Order: sequence, then structure tokens, then C-alpha cells
Amino acid sequence: MTTYTVYKEQLPELFGKWSEEYSLYVPAKLREGFYDLVAWKPGLEIAWDFDVAYNSPKRFLFPPREALITFDRRTCEAKPVFEAPPQILFGVHPYDVKAINQLDQLLEGGAPDQNYVRRREATVIMAYEPLTVSSTAFWASVGAGTVAHGFDLYWTKIGPAAFTVEVGSAKGEELLSLCGGLVPATAGDKEGARRARARVQFRARKNSLRYNWEETPRLLAKCWDSPLWRRYSQMCLACGSCNLVCPTCYCFDIRDEVDDQLGEGVRYREWDGCMLEGFAKVAGNHNFRPKAQDRYRHRYFRKGKYIYDKIGELGCVGCGRCVRACTAGIANPLKVFNELWEETAHEH
Amino acid sequence: MAKPKIAFFDFAGCEGDQLQIANLEERLLDILGHVEVVSFREVVTGHSDDYDVAFVEGSITRPGDEERLKEIRKNAKILVALGACAAIGGINCLKNFQAENVYREEVYGAHARWYPTYAARPLKSVVKVDAEVPGCPIDGAEFARITKDLLLGRTPWVPDFPVCVECKQAGNVCRYEMGRMCLGIITRAGCGAACVSQGAHCWGCRGLVPGANLDAARIVMDRPGTSRKAVQDLLRFFLGDTGAAL
Ligand code: SF4
Ligand code: SF4
Ligand code: SF4
Ligand code: SF4
Repeated sequence: MTTYTVYKEQLPELFGKWSEEYSLYVPAKLREGFYDLVAWKPGLEIAWDFDVAYNSPKRFLFPPREALITFDRRTCEAKPVFEAPPQILFGVHPYDVKAINQLDQLLEGGAPDQNYVRRREATVIMAYEPLTVSSTAFWASVGAGTVAHGFDLYWTKIGPAAFTVEVGSAKGEELLSLCGGLVPATAGDKEGARRARARVQFRARKNSLRYNWEETPRLLAKCWDSPLWRRYSQMCLACGSCNLVCPTCYCFDIRDEVDDQLGEGVRYREWDGCMLEGFAKVAGNHNFRPKAQDRYRHRYFRKGKYIYDKIGELGCVGCGRCVRACTAGIANPLKVFNELWEETAHEH
Repeated sequence: MAKPKIAFFDFAGCEGDQLQIANLEERLLDILGHVEVVSFREVVTGHSDDYDVAFVEGSITRPGDEERLKEIRKNAKILVALGACAAIGGINCLKNFQAENVYREEVYGAHARWYPTYAARPLKSVVKVDAEVPGCPIDGAEFARITKDLLLGRTPWVPDFPVCVECKQAGNVCRYEMGRMCLGIITRAGCGAACVSQGAHCWGCRGLVPGANLDAARIVMDRPGTSRKAVQDLLRFFLGDTGAAL
């Protein structure tokens, strides 16, 4: 695909144009050390060197709470609710693009999730090569450091005021050309982008799995009875933070609420997580995973084996968000997988 | 079907929960349209002892309160504890960590001995409670939802997970990552992590979440820069009647 060179001074005009038709979200600093994608407005300072967006981009495609249908108790009629505001996510790091690609596969396969599909179609993804690496991230070692698809444009900062922009879709190219005069990237600019990528990839290897990530499902298959699950889960608060911050976790619960006349109502979904005690509780109050240990192990099997068995990738893109979010200090796929690898060293 | 008759009562508390309900204003008319209110000091005058559902606010702090509460229990088919004081004892239980003569003199001065009181406790320590509307004060919208569920014959849904879930949904930066304390890790959700979203931290007003891992929570809270005293004060603030308070 084509690559262009874009200069920083062109951005305000481009952003202004885009925000006429789209909600535009860009990386900004929340407070020292914390960044997030926030709504763009003229003059907003963009945090080009953000290490990780505090909240994962899934909230734009699969909001924390979302109406699914409205119903009428008297007539027993129901109508679907679809909301899909056009939006541009500017500054999505490759591991998060990878996470979105995964959601696409999981939610659009089988019986497609209509609400997700619609939001996804209305969303433009502008990927952005990171300049810094969060201290808890390990994306380079789980195969999530680079993405070949899933973006409309891919931005790489190659100097204080210049970017290369790789085109990923016709839509992306159209948006980029809204202010006219696109300049194809020179060989030198492309080389600059390659070097920028190599630099950050090198830095990202500081936190690494001790083995090739593709071994993870086989590793886990041997570790169902490991003492590790109990050792760590003793500290688990069943708070679900690790699930909710994860860019690839997509579980939800469905509930109804009626209006004050007890006539019409809305059925909505809300984020849920397998680490919550009531997650696997079914009718009759039977709980399939009553112990913290069962839930803790399940999450790592989900990340390292079940998702792999479905789509051939780990369910963890190494963003490190759960590591940061866990107040108990036990959510850490990198550490868990590495320790299991050590534990089974005599077998490999 | 005749409209269910409901009544409101209060014990030791500030009536803030009934006020929250009164504040529902126009929504209140719709919701109360499905019931007959026989006693509600904040909204209507008059009183009757013929009711199906009793909403009870406040803690039990005097031996004499027990009798009145048992009477209410006898009359009501369903007894709902309204707010933190009624559901978990709440801030009234702060006095349980002081000597009796100290708090009685502070409150009643020279006449202290005329007023018998005892350790503050939630309703459930005295009678069976069928449902709870947690919070200090309660959330009007949650009261409305629970009431509607009861009216529809459904078991009212109250979150059974910690505040952290709603805090993450709201996208807040965790207080612990800012070097501060927060009780969201052991407190029942349902408030939308209101206090954290407003810039503060959770004080635990909605009571312990079922299965709260208190041992782990104490380790999490015991961090460099926080004193044992600060941890103790926070755990006693609303949770004095629970196993969380030290
Ligand atoms: S499991 Fe943790 S590190 Fe992996 S993608 Fe999810 S939040 Fe990120
Ligand atoms: S964030 Fe930590 S304490 Fe909370 S559920 Fe996950 S592992 Fe348990
Ligand atoms: S700020 Fe409090 S409620 Fe929010 S995630 Fe952290 S501990 Fe939980
Ligand atoms: S955040 Fe905590 S203290 Fe504040 S309303 Fe919610 S439960 Fe109560």
C-alpha cells in the first residue's frame, strides 16, 4: 500500500475537517504518567510519546453499558436499539489494533454481534507506532508488536514534525487527502519509519517471555494442577479490574429495567468479567467456579489456551494494563506464564 | 389486585434516605402511583399500622428501639432496610469503638444517665430483613429500580461485585495507582463509583461485597506512605459492624 509523508503543521486542519463528520479521539495526558484517548478539540496538546492509553479502545466499540432492545410489557413487542456514531480513533498502538482485530474475529464470527458490528463499521482506526513502552508491557514477546491489517491509516513519527502514513484502506486514504496535496513518502522517510519501529521494538523486548509465545497453549495444558494458581489467587479480590481493562476481554451481562409506569423497558448489557465471583453462577445459584483459584486459573487458560484454540493467537496482546490495574499485584500474564515455564523446565 | 400498602420508618439516622426518595420528585408520583403510602413523614401526613412493605431507615442504638422494630416486622410482609445505617449500621457504629460514658456524655451532656443507649447495630441484628437498599445516602434511581422489581414480583437485583467494576467502566484512574487508599476493592457496587468519579475515594458506604477478601484488602492497603491508623479509620467509617473493622 501507498505511504505518504505528512507534517505536523497539517494536522490541525486535517483534524478540524475530520471532526466535522466524526467524533475524533486522540492521545492526551490525563496527569503525570497517565494517558488516554480523549475527544479532540482545537489546541489540545497531543501526547505523542504516550506509553499506553489508560483505558483500552474496546470501550469505543463495545461500551461499558449499551442498550440492546426496548420492549413493551403490554404488547410484548420488542425493537432493537442500534447506536453507531461515526468516530475516528487516532493513535491506536499496534497491540491495541491487534486486540481489535481479535474482537472482530470473535464477535463477528458465528452469530455476529449486531451492535458491535455496526459500531465497528462506523469506526476509523488510525494506528500509531509507539515511541515509548509502558513498564508493565510485553507486547513484543507475544506477537503483538506489529500488525499487518486492521487499520485505515498507520502513522509513524519519523522526526520532530514529520510522520509517514501508511494507507490501510481506501477510507483512510480519502480522509488523509481531504486537505489535498498528498506527498508520497521518500525512500529516506520510509527508512526513518523502519528505524523508529526497530528502536521501539528493541526497547519493548525488555519484558519478555522466556520461550516462544506459540508454546503457551501446550505449556498450560501441563499446568492445570500447578500450585501457582492457589499461591497467587489467595490475594485475589475478585474485583474484575483485570478483565475490564483488558482490550481483548469482551464478556457482558444482560439486564432489564422497566420505566416508572411499569409499561416499557430497556434491555441493556454491561461489562462483566470472569474474575467476578458471580460470573459463573447459574440458575439455582450453582457456581461453576466458586473458588478464587478456579477463576484465576480460568483467566490464564482463556488468555493462553482457549482463545488460541479458536483463532491461533494468544488472547493476551501484552499491553500490561491488567498488571497495572491489579491492586493485589497478582494479575500478570507474563509473570505467570514465565513461572509456569520454569516450573515445568524438567519437561522441556 | 389491591395496591400494596407501604410505610416508611426511621431509627437513628438523618432521614437522608427518605429525602433521596422525596427528591425523585416527578418520578416519585409515577412509582408511588403503583402503591398506597400509609406512612411517609417526608412526603405525606398521617399514619396507619396496616401495611405490606415497610421501608426502614436508621440503625438500632437503644434497647427500646428493638421493640418498635419487632412490631414493624410483625405488621409487614416485606421489610426493606433503607440506607447504610439500617443495612450495615453505618457511621452510627463509630461510637462502638469508644467507651460508652465518653460518647453518651458527648451527646447528652449532664443528662447522659437519662438516656440508655447501647452499641449501634443494623436492623438485621434484631429482625429478619428481606431486602436492602444500600448506600449513604441511597441512590434514588436504585430505590426506584428495587421498588419496581418488587412490584413486578422479581427478586431485586443489586450488584454482587465490588465498586472497582463500575470504576473501571467509568474509566477512572485507580486511587492506588495515585498512591492513595480506596475501599472500592471490598465494597458492593451500585453507585457507579460515585466518589471516585468525583475525585475522592470509596469509603465503603454500600457495605461489604459478598465474599470480600478482607485479608487481601488489608495487605493491599498496607502500603508505604499509609499509616495503620489511617487504614483503621477508613475501615471503621462505615464498616464498623462488619468483619472489616479492626
Ligand atoms: S491480559 Fe493483561 S496484558 Fe494481556 S492484553 Fe489483557 S490487559 Fe493486556
Ligand atoms: S485485578 Fe487482581 S485482584 Fe482484581 S480480580 Fe483481577 S487478579 Fe483478582
Ligand atoms: S479507585 Fe477504588 S474503586 Fe476504583 S479501581 Fe481503584 S480501588 Fe477500585
Ligand atoms: S464510592 Fe463507595 S463511599 Fe462512595 S457512594 Fe460508592 S460505595 Fe459509597
